[in-house]
Amino acid sequence: MSFIHKFLNFKLYSEVTVSDILLSILILFISTILIKAINLNLRRFLKDKLEKQELSLIEKVVSYTILGIAIISILPMLGINISGILVAGGIAGIALGFASQKVVSNLLSGVFLMIERPIRIGQQLDVEGIRGFVEDINVISTIIRTYDGLYVRVPNEKVFTSSITNFVAHVVRRFEYTVGIRYSDDAEKALRIIKSLIEENPFALKNPEPQVFVDNLGDNAVEIKVRIWAPVQVWYSVKMELLWKIKKTLEENGIEIPFPQRVLWFANDVKIKKNK
Amino acid sequence: MFFGIYKPPLEIKKENISIKVEKKDKAFLYKRGKNGERREKFILFDDFEIHINPVEPLNTPQEISPYLFINFSKSLLIGPKKREKIYIKFPIEIAVFIKGKGDVEVIDIFSLIKNKFTLYGDIRSGVVCKYYESEVYKEVPDVNNLLEGVIELTLQNQTKEWVEVNKVVFNAYLMKIYYNENLVSCISKMAIKSKVLAETSFVDKPLQKNMKKSLELFVSRRLPIIPSEFTMEWGL
Repeated sequence: MSFIHKFLNFKLYSEVTVSDILLSILILFISTILIKAINLNLRRFLKDKLEKQELSLIEKVVSYTILGIAIISILPMLGINISGILVAGGIAGIALGFASQKVVSNLLSGVFLMIERPIRIGQQLDVEGIRGFVEDINVISTIIRTYDGLYVRVPNEKVFTSSITNFVAHVVRRFEYTVGIRYSDDAEKALRIIKSLIEENPFALKNPEPQVFVDNLGDNAVEIKVRIWAPVQVWYSVKMELLWKIKKTLEENGIEIPFPQRVLWFANDVKIKKNK
Repeated sequence: MFFGIYKPPLEIKKENISIKVEKKDKAFLYKRGKNGERREKFILFDDFEIHINPVEPLNTPQEISPYLFINFSKSLLIGPKKREKIYIKFPIEIAVFIKGKGDVEVIDIFSLIKNKFTLYGDIRSGVVCKYYESEVYKEVPDVNNLLEGVIELTLQNQTKEWVEVNKVVFNAYLMKIYYNENLVSCISKMAIKSKVLAETSFVDKPLQKNMKKSLELFVSRRLPIIPSEFTMEWGL
């Protein structure tokens, strides 16, 4: 017993004994287990109630708070004077603040992004020409997976100060086509065919009503404008599917999409030479 | 009777639908045909039941919304403080469930009805709904129960004004569907709070005697708890 007692009270440096070191390790160990247990339960109970982004933020706050308390409580055991650290930390903080304005700016932008929430994880957006899915919104950067599968890290300051186009912020969106038909074709028949194709498609919404109308009498074609609203989850597949169906069905009904053409009038008769 | 509980092997044919569960290569093979469309799945379990039930019309062609919008062919005018019972048709989907030792799983969902979606409300805050159009009846109408069911809707005008009703929107996750040989049905309520606001909900009771309750998809999928009524806040 006296050996263990002596070992535990053995001074490693200044007044810090082996028992202080062991206790510090124990506190860190317990705090790590506590963080894991709390986060696991948070995930279990809040997974269905909160979004991934909010849950991740709560987990980070909980983890850093517990870890911070643990570190502050073990520092005196390790012979480190907290008041000295706080003063040194304050001075270092000012110096670091000047040196890391961009980082702080990104950090604050991240906080404002989380408060204002113009974008959420999983949504599709365009920021400064970068288009894709929001994979993660971190404290200083936002991760975007572009449509062609690239990983793009955008600093939060850039996201916050740029104009953001969120493609899926609303439950529905509109897309449009311009379908050109020949002047010799029956435009009313073409309108009827396009309207019936839209009616047949389940995702082309009944309301807001689709619009199909002759928009322009162009150089080479009568231009029909087609505007359709669809749920954001499926709008692109509807857009692709319907355009091809319109083209095919119009052709099946003898209505063709014309090539650009010019009618030339010659002043004199043109002699056509035929090669044998 | 098409809907019900079956022990494999089984073979059912009705109208354009065929469902077959047969033993093949020491496993069971589930086959379903519908208007030329086919689906096949292997079932690696011996002791199971097949439940064929009408379910909430939210799953085909793709599940994108929990809401069902039924547009009335003719609008209704309901007097002040009046309570009135009407019947409307709703589209049904057919689900095939597999039930082993306690657990229930959906293996197939299909529909013979043409699907259409609509937006209820404005673009900024409205909701996408499955769309269906129905006549309004004062008696239970005749329906083909492979295609349509009947909703008994009790309209309760809680205002002191005449109110015009053109549609009803439900949260179809809350539907309590019952069926028998001839009818698929559910009972619902619409509490009219103003000319533009109403609350809709379902009642967990059969419309006729000797009706069986359908398995609820949102229970078998363990969806999180949802409110028990839907507020129609963008017009009636």
